[in-house]
Amino acid sequence: MFARSRFVARRAIKFGSGSRTLSTTLPRRADITLTVDGKEVTVPQGTALIQACEAAGATVPRFCYHDRLAIAGNCRMCLVEVERSPKPVASCAMPAMPGSKVFTNTPLVHKAREGVMEFLLANHPLDCAICDQGGECDLQDQSMRYGSDRTRFHEITGKRAVENKDLGPIVKTSMNRCIQCTRCVRFANDVAGVEDLGTTGRGNDLQIGMYVEKVMDSEMSGNIIDLCPVGALTSKPYAFQARPWELKKTESIDVLDAVGSNIRIDSRGVQVMRIQPKINDEVNEEWINDKTRYAYDGLKYQRLTTPLVREGDRFVPATWEHALETIRHGLINSGAKGDEIKAVAGHLADTESLTTLKDLFNKLGSENLTLDQPFGDSPPATGVDLRSNYLFNTGIENIEEADAVLLIGTNPRHEAAIINTRFRKSFLRRGANFGLIGETFPSTFELEHLGQSAKDAETFFSKPGNGTFAKIWKEAKKPLIIVGSAVMETKDGAAVLKAVSKHVLANQARFLNQEWNGFSILQRAASRAAAYDLGFTPSTTSSSVKPKFIYLLNADEFDPTTIPSSSFVVYQGHHGDLGAQYADVCLPGSAYTEKSTTWINTEGRAQLGRTAVPPPGASREDWKILRALSEVLNQPLPYDDVLALRDRMWDISPTLVRYDSREIPSVELTKLGLQVLSENKTSQASGEKFKKPIEDFYRTDPISRASVTMAACSKAFTKGDYVPADVDEGATAQASYA
Amino acid sequence: MTTLARSIPRTVKEIRFHLCQTSPASRGVRQFILSSYSGIKASNPDLKFLVREAAGVEPKAFVRWERGVESSTGLSGLNEKDVASALNQLVNQQTVGKA
Repeated sequence: MFARSRFVARRAIKFGSGSRTLSTTLPRRADITLTVDGKEVTVPQGTALIQACEAAGATVPRFCYHDRLAIAGNCRMCLVEVERSPKPVASCAMPAMPGSKVFTNTPLVHKAREGVMEFLLANHPLDCAICDQGGECDLQDQSMRYGSDRTRFHEITGKRAVENKDLGPIVKTSMNRCIQCTRCVRFANDVAGVEDLGTTGRGNDLQIGMYVEKVMDSEMSGNIIDLCPVGALTSKPYAFQARPWELKKTESIDVLDAVGSNIRIDSRGVQVMRIQPKINDEVNEEWINDKTRYAYDGLKYQRLTTPLVREGDRFVPATWEHALETIRHGLINSGAKGDEIKAVAGHLADTESLTTLKDLFNKLGSENLTLDQPFGDSPPATGVDLRSNYLFNTGIENIEEADAVLLIGTNPRHEAAIINTRFRKSFLRRGANFGLIGETFPSTFELEHLGQSAKDAETFFSKPGNGTFAKIWKEAKKPLIIVGSAVMETKDGAAVLKAVSKHVLANQARFLNQEWNGFSILQRAASRAAAYDLGFTPSTTSSSVKPKFIYLLNADEFDPTTIPSSSFVVYQGHHGDLGAQYADVCLPGSAYTEKSTTWINTEGRAQLGRTAVPPPGASREDWKILRALSEVLNQPLPYDDVLALRDRMWDISPTLVRYDSREIPSVELTKLGLQVLSENKTSQASGEKFKKPIEDFYRTDPISRASVTMAACSKAFTKGDYVPADVDEGATAQASYA
Repeated sequence: MTTLARSIPRTVKEIRFHLCQTSPASRGVRQFILSSYSGIKASNPDLKFLVREAAGVEPKAFVRWERGVESSTGLSGLNEKDVASALNQLVNQQTVGKA
């Protein structure tokens, strides 16, 4: 990893700042008009011809071209005829010209496509029947539509044979099938930041690989499987599991980080078979990280499927009625009153259940609503009164505009891998500069390390010094400060926020205006922004109370010493993880694929997840469990269905039910929020070093900890302990059970 | 403002404001928040004072007392002073939860 960062630096020097890739998108210019198949179409100047054809409604087949990647122009499938051009032209590599006449449906084009198809298939194995890409293979589909109806292939020497590569526990390779479109190479270099995936050889001998035998260590590697137009790169965990036509597709939201990536859950019967990205340009574009994609097998293991009641030192399965009655008796016998009744909201709690839990506990007279994080027992340093104080105000889609980014106590690569890819993009295309105060990490962009602690942050703002980044920071037109959620989980949280807010207010003109807000907090737990929006936080007095009754809602990250042994503990969640161990009663809830609930991402964007599969066994939707409990505790809540509950959520904050849009706080109130932070009476910042909150990206929550694939990834990538299999031997082993 | 800040009973646990970022009907509420937020927070550190902006919503104030009892009042088009008095009336009302 050291070698890689050196490589990044060298590249940056070589190309200078501003353009670190060979091809960059041209800035938007005037519109031009051309004719495609006799139809006039107007597109911005600099648009690729293939996009102009798409705009005119003419489909052009392609393999190597992809809207979000650099242009390669090597598959030749997108040939079209342009008037006064002697040969057909590759429409992906040709800019649209004003006044040109383009034809996509002439005998010349048909013949060209047929020829290209024939060449591609000459070296492509005829193993569609046992290929995992079957049914969603571009090559299969396009050969049916544009290819020849018979073969002229009679080579005695047979087809080209290429050795398979072992890229790790996620990507399965079958390099015989590769058509050398280089989409994976372009993705790995430009988006994921793995610069050692590349090509060797020329022409017929061209091969894709890592040059040496090693794994592809990237948290975004699963995307190259989607990008591969053929079956050369397929998914190892999903190998031979299902065919695309037998899957039910449900569009939903990911919850394993706070980005809220849009996903499509493919399920068969009661089982989630795979998770794919869904395009949303405002959030995750077309990518998802490997945890989002592959932690789903954790939904099968360690599940709580029936209510459990502790008897002595073991759990006994119980009916819902018995479990809820036990909780009622537990609450009465514990003698808990007011703030002695404590709720802990975990990372995976949905907004509906948080609302219900808060309303129930308020009814019971408790304000002791805590969060499952260090210092979660006391009010958060950001405060929850003004939304701009705890949200990612800049907006995920806007961060690419930042010219200088200061990261404080955060590793975006692990806390929000999607945001990290956008940083890589702005680093390559716009030459953005990055500074880091906190623990270092192998970054996918060039970073200047400015310090380790809150004290260093204060020093950077008061006496920036003469470093390269400090100079750029002073001049930056769109500076961006990102404070990681882990900073607020240390005793220095308030001091850091004070220093940051003072700096932002002192440089208001650059940080805060109608177009730009350069102050962002990066949350890493899917439920956190929702909890803050609801006001699901303790009061200063409640934190000093010793709890007698504790309700853990999806809480699995707490410090066990915070739970007094004399207290009565209820755990509600979907996995038997840490929380269930300390419980007197376990109530089985649903995982995110099994309920239709609201999720608020780190920007404050409300998105609705959807039910893909039913919850297993006797488990129920989480808010319904709490609603039933309220009845048993004789404090019935005033909503009986999810619509009434969402009306209640509107009353708490309209932003919670404004789906798919982002309610941006006004500049005036953002300034008020910063003023509040800057006037905070707090102790001096200490020199204690910031620590990365995520040590192991692949094991951060009960779902990923139960996942076999994530365990394999953790072993291979986090611990670096992966023995590349003899791939050909592996293939025979697989064939025996396929 | 200080009178309002002092007169909030201890039984009031949470005050929530809904307002729009731009509409003129929310202007009074915004002015009220900008001028009295720090005063109210200083005298009532345990009070939650949630300001929730959403485009086009009707400006409103919600008050939650102990044991989850809530009531609300509309603040549409009121000026800063009227917002203060409406809020004062709301937090000090005798029949909580009825409004």
